Amino acid sequence: MALLELQGVESGYGPMQILWGIDMEVSAGETVLLLGANSAGKTTLLRTLIGLLPCARGSIRFEGERIDALPPDQRIRRGIAFMSELGVFPSLSIDENIALGGYFLRDAEVRRRKTRLFDLFPALAAKRRDAAGTLSGGQRKMLGIAKVLVAEPKLLLMDEPSSGLAPVFVKQVIEVLKTTIGGGTSLLIAEQNVAFLALATRGYLIDHGKVRLSGTRAELESSDTVRETYFGL
Amino acid sequence: MELLEYAIVGGILYGVFFSLVGIGLNLIFGVMRIINLAHGQFIVLGGYVAWLVSRHFGFNPLWSIPLSVAGAIVVGWPLYAAVVPRLQRSDDPEMLSFILFFGIGQMIEALTGMAFGADQRSLPSEALGSGNIGVLGQQFPDSWWIAAAVSVSCILALYGYFSHTRLGYATRAIMADRDEALATGISVDRVSAIAFVAGLALAGIAGMFVPYLLGSVSPDLGGELTTTSFAIVIIGSLGNPLGTVIGGLVFGLGTMLMQTYYSSWSNVVPYALLLIIVLIRPSGLLGKEARHA
Repeated sequence: MALLELQGVESGYGPMQILWGIDMEVSAGETVLLLGANSAGKTTLLRTLIGLLPCARGSIRFEGERIDALPPDQRIRRGIAFMSELGVFPSLSIDENIALGGYFLRDAEVRRRKTRLFDLFPALAAKRRDAAGTLSGGQRKMLGIAKVLVAEPKLLLMDEPSSGLAPVFVKQVIEVLKTTIGGGTSLLIAEQNVAFLALATRGYLIDHGKVRLSGTRAELESSDTVRETYFGL
Repeated sequence: MELLEYAIVGGILYGVFFSLVGIGLNLIFGVMRIINLAHGQFIVLGGYVAWLVSRHFGFNPLWSIPLSVAGAIVVGWPLYAAVVPRLQRSDDPEMLSFILFFGIGQMIEALTGMAFGADQRSLPSEALGSGNIGVLGQQFPDSWWIAAAVSVSCILALYGYFSHTRLGYATRAIMADRDEALATGISVDRVSAIAFVAGLALAGIAGMFVPYLLGSVSPDLGGELTTTSFAIVIIGSLGNPLGTVIGGLVFGLGTMLMQTYYSSWSNVVPYALLLIIVLIRPSGLLGKEARHA
C-alpha cells in the first residue's frame, strides 16, 4: 500500500482551476521529485496535499485513509509535514520556530527533540534566541528543515528547497536531506533544480496542472522531455 | 516648568491607560484581520459592569475585572464561533467585519441604553482610594495610578503570553503569516478564538476605569472610544499589539500637553496625531507592513 495516494485530484484558487486530474503515489521510505517549470502547479499540489487549498475533485489517501476533507493541523498530526518556500517565521526566534514545528506535541517532548536537532544543526543552536529573519539564506533553509523534522513526519512535502540559494548551499541542503532519508521519512520534493534528481528514487514531471511524465530516476534522466526542459539539450 | 511636569506625568498615566483601551482592538485585527468596530461599546459594557458592582452591589469596582474577563469568555466565545470563521471564508473579511461589527456595536449601544438609561453614570471616586499620589511634586488621584498599574499589568501579561507560551508563539505566527501557521500545524481557529476573547476582556478591563479617567460612562460613549482606539492603534502600528503602547503614550502625552497649554484644542489631538502619522509614516511608528489592501 502506498503511503500517499492521489486519484484524479483537481484543485485551484477559487474559480481558477490549476490542477487537472493528478494521479500520484509515494511509498514509505521513498523520495519522489516533483519536477516542473514555474506555474506548472507544483506549489498548488503541495498546498492541496497539506490542506491549505480544498481538493475540489478526486481523492487523497494517507496510509489508506481519505484525508482530503481534513484541516491542515489534523493532517499534520497524522504524520505529514510541509516546508514552504519561505519555511520559517522570520519574526520569531529559532527556538520559537522549532517549538511551533512540534505544535501538537507535549512541551517535554519538544524539548527532547529540539536538543537532538541542535546536535544536528550546531549553527542554529548558537543563535537560538535570534530572529529567524537574521539568518542567512542557507541557515534559514536548515531552520526550515529543523522546524518540520521536530514533528518526525512520515511524509515530508517540500516546496522548492533550493529557491534563493547559491549552488553551494543547495548541495548542503541535499546533504542534510540525505541524512534525513535515513530516518525513514518519505519525501515529496517540488523542484525546478534537477540536482535534486540525485536524491530521488522516482519522479513526476508536471506541466499545466497535469502529470506529463513519470518514472524512475534513470528513466527521467534519459527522457527527452526532461532533457529538453531542464538540461537545455 | 511645573505645568510641563504636570502634563508629562499626567500624560504618561493617561497614555498607559489608553494603551490598554486600544490594545484589544489591535490584537483582534492582528490575528484575524477583522476590524472590531464594536470595540468602544465593549469598553462601555466594562464600565457598566464596574458601575453595577460598585453602585448596585456595593463592592469595590476592581471586582469588575474578573467579571469582565468572565463576561468576555461567555459572550466572546460564541460570538467568535458564530461570526469569525464565516467572515474569514469571505473574499474581503476586513470590509465585511467593518459592517458586521458596526451593527453589533449599535446593538450593544441600544441594549445598554435600555438597561441603564441614557444618563451618564459615574463611580464613587473614594472607592479606589480618596488620596492623591505625587511624583515630581505633581498630584494625581489614586484612581489614575491604579488605572495605570492595572494597564501596565495587563500589557505585561500579554507580553508574557506572547513571548513565553507556545500559544503565544502561535498567536504571533498567525499574525505574521496565516498560511504558514496553518501549514505548520497550528490550530489557527482555536488560537484566534483565544485572541478574540482576550481582546474583548482587555476592552472590558479598560472600561472599568473609563468613569474615573473620562468622568463618566454612558451608552453613546462607545463610538468615540472606538475612534480614539483606532487613532492610537494606527499611531503605534496596525497589527502589532505592543506598538499600541507607543501609540497610547503618544496620545496621552499629546492630550495632556494640549489640555495644559491650549485646552480647547485637546479634543483634536488624536486626529491631528493620526493625520501627521499617516502622512509621514503610514505604517505607524513601529510599523512594518501590516496590511496590503
